[in-house]
Amino acid sequence: MKTTTPLSRVGFMAVDRRSFLRMVAAGAAVVGVPSLLAGCTSSSPTGAATSGRPIGDVIPSYIPVEYVTPDFPSVNGSVPGFLTLPKELVQSVASAPGSGATFKAMTPLWGTIPPTTGNQYYKAVNGMLGSTIEFQITDGNTYGDKLATVLASAKDVPDWVCIPTWNLPPRFGSEIVGNVFQDLTPYLAGDKVKEYPNLANIPSDAWKFCVFNGKLYGLPFPGGTLNDAIFYRKDLIEGMGITVDVKSGDDLLALALELTDAAAGRWGADDLWTPATIIHSVPPKWKLDGGKLVHRFESDEYRAALEWNAKLFASGAVHPDAVAGQTGDAKKRFQSGRTLIMGDGLGGWNEALRDNLASNPSYWQQPFDYFAADGGKPVLFKANPTNIFSFLKKSDDKNKITELLALANLLAAPFGTTECDVITNGVEGVHYTKDSAGLPVPTPLAATELQPTYIFLVDGPVTETHVQYPGYVKAISTWQAKAAEYATDPLFYGQQISEPQQFGSLGQPFVDLELDISRGRKSLSDLDAAVTTWKAAGGDDLRAFYQEILDAQ
Amino acid sequence: MRFGALRGRRPAAEPVRDGAARWAAPSVPVRKIGWRTRLKADRSLLLMVLPAVGLLVVFAYVAMLGNIIAWQNYSPYTGFLHSPFVAWANFERVFSNPLFLDAVRNTLTITAFQLVFFFPIPIFLALLLNSVMSPRLRTAIQSVVYLPHFFSWVLVVTLFQQMLGGAGLVSQTLRQHGYAGFDLMTNPDSFLVLITMQSVWKDAGWGIIIFLAALGTVSPELYEAAAVDGANRWRRIWHVTLPALRPVILLLLILRLGDSLTVGFEQLILQRGAVGPGVSEVIDTYVYYQGVVNGDWGFSAAAGLVKGVVSLALVLGANKMAHLFGEAGVYQKA
Repeated sequence: MKTTTPLSRVGFMAVDRRSFLRMVAAGAAVVGVPSLLAGCTSSSPTGAATSGRPIGDVIPSYIPVEYVTPDFPSVNGSVPGFLTLPKELVQSVASAPGSGATFKAMTPLWGTIPPTTGNQYYKAVNGMLGSTIEFQITDGNTYGDKLATVLASAKDVPDWVCIPTWNLPPRFGSEIVGNVFQDLTPYLAGDKVKEYPNLANIPSDAWKFCVFNGKLYGLPFPGGTLNDAIFYRKDLIEGMGITVDVKSGDDLLALALELTDAAAGRWGADDLWTPATIIHSVPPKWKLDGGKLVHRFESDEYRAALEWNAKLFASGAVHPDAVAGQTGDAKKRFQSGRTLIMGDGLGGWNEALRDNLASNPSYWQQPFDYFAADGGKPVLFKANPTNIFSFLKKSDDKNKITELLALANLLAAPFGTTECDVITNGVEGVHYTKDSAGLPVPTPLAATELQPTYIFLVDGPVTETHVQYPGYVKAISTWQAKAAEYATDPLFYGQQISEPQQFGSLGQPFVDLELDISRGRKSLSDLDAAVTTWKAAGGDDLRAFYQEILDAQ
Repeated sequence: MRFGALRGRRPAAEPVRDGAARWAAPSVPVRKIGWRTRLKADRSLLLMVLPAVGLLVVFAYVAMLGNIIAWQNYSPYTGFLHSPFVAWANFERVFSNPLFLDAVRNTLTITAFQLVFFFPIPIFLALLLNSVMSPRLRTAIQSVVYLPHFFSWVLVVTLFQQMLGGAGLVSQTLRQHGYAGFDLMTNPDSFLVLITMQSVWKDAGWGIIIFLAALGTVSPELYEAAAVDGANRWRRIWHVTLPALRPVILLLLILRLGDSLTVGFEQLILQRGAVGPGVSEVIDTYVYYQGVVNGDWGFSAAAGLVKGVVSLALVLGANKMAHLFGEAGVYQKA
């Protein structure tokens, strides 16, 4: 849900994963999904990873291939950046791997659903594949509902199903995955993946997240190491003669207040709850304190983040619409200058440039260099290595599975290959023309036909290739390299842990509490009470459940 | 006279007060007719009603059997045939959960408040509109007040936010003239008033339709007769109009009571973030978060069933009350 790159490959009209989430969160405002997100955290585990022993035998070997040398190589796991598009493309798969069969695939889409008949983009990619993939595309905001019904009836499941991690239905690990989907361990584990070099090029952490109950089920859509940033409107703030120098939580509070001028319709900040958790290093789920598991909700960091956010709201620097929980319009407020600081996914950066540079060439938003709330050294927890994955329908037909994997291998072709180029940009002369700088300029047909579809099935490693926005690749790559220094594995990083169903609703009260405490409707003593209730209602049992997993590692 | 055949079953009824609400039952006993004869006589009518009955059976009554999951630890992936049976455990959890009781309290508060401050408004509006003489003006007003009904709640809430929110039109205008702004949208204390305002704005116009129709049936002769007897306008409303509206008002009141545990799901879920669940959590939103979001189907089915049973009791109770007032209510025993 967070990083930009792979989707951004799809070009100018694509929406990246982060904005899906933002939209989901916006939908949240509409349908009350905040808890969906929480549901996603509670059902889709976090995880610690240093090549976990039991998992090590199950995931594919990592055999990296590099077709183009990045201008900004990865530093500590940051996303590599490219300043230009390669002149010479490499064909990574020699001949079309398909047998001419037709497969059904179900994917979400945050955009206009493309036509299925006469679609030249489908024709081009299916031609490369040698088999036809027929898409059943559903609006991403309601994808979870459709999934729940499709998965409830195993015989209706299409051959290939994309599932975003935040749409993982309850009981997925315990009841669904083993009954409905194909165990890929016998096909991909260890060196078996060598038959599929582009799949072997996907980093191990992304694969680890696809392991359920000790077996490899998913094909990943890899994400970046760090996905969130706190942005400010550099163009506007500097235009006001204010120099941005934020080194602590108090600095940020002061800046937000300084920028606020309600009578002029301008507020310093949007709701900064996610940024608050970042600068306070709130653990995504668990942390170890003296050998004891401490849950996010019980941690001092969580408490401090809430206290800080409540201070921000009390200062009056938050836009009233954000106070009213209208999260869906957060970007609109920020991009129109009604707020000047907001938290967003890194992917929101290039989207904002896409949407604003044409009408406002001086538009520039910049993420703050990371800082800790107390002014010390920041600790940033890595994001899930995969936010979207896909599964193959269970089948006794070995040839069908190997063929689908061969198709996946082609679809996972990395940046710099002809396959990736076609999947990203479509056909030259049909979906794009090249400008004087050699950059693809999409044609009107691209807007209807070239929507992100194949990439939801499987994707190569993340790269940063938005060369069309001047200065962007350099800015994001240097920022990421700096931030990646502070990136740490959270406990249970990259592990898929299916929590028993009875813990499903434990986190719900905290979603509400975060809103209530931030807005001053409840106090921190209510947090204490909620934690006590949480422990009694199953929190301590949940701890024991995770302790067992920790002990086994 | 096929209806007559059906009606023939009914025993001679007591004389009725309101001819419009009930059939005029024959006061003379009718010769008993065998069911075969009646079947034959009403054949085509029965055939016509069959598809509707079929739909009702499949989509209402068969589906109702699904309530069995309230006694199960249900999972859609194992189905109700194989989900473990947990007896009354789900119901025990529902009643021992303080959050559910909070949701019930909020629901009842909102219903009671709206019964007093929302329910009568369409009646007043209908009376006002009925006194407008120019048909053209009347149609224009009607169109204007109906329109908001067709807006979705998302739109209504956004509109209120744009007008009465902290950065809304009213607030910004005040600020520009040197006064302090205000934010009605995020104040939990005035939330009850706010959502009632929204409901009135959106649905009061729509609510007048039925009352207007009832008003249309009042014979003008009654007004003329009252006027001849020296009744002023107020007296005419009190002695002619309102008695004519009474059956309709009571009918709608009963239906409203049956719905009383269902209060604006969308409207509330949209504003939950703004005012917090403390004042905005109602039974429906609670069931949604517990059951649908967290996959606790059995539990939420139990909560929903409790709601259904209470609603049914309310309808039956209200109907009984209506009978005591001498009105027909929603239905009567044959």
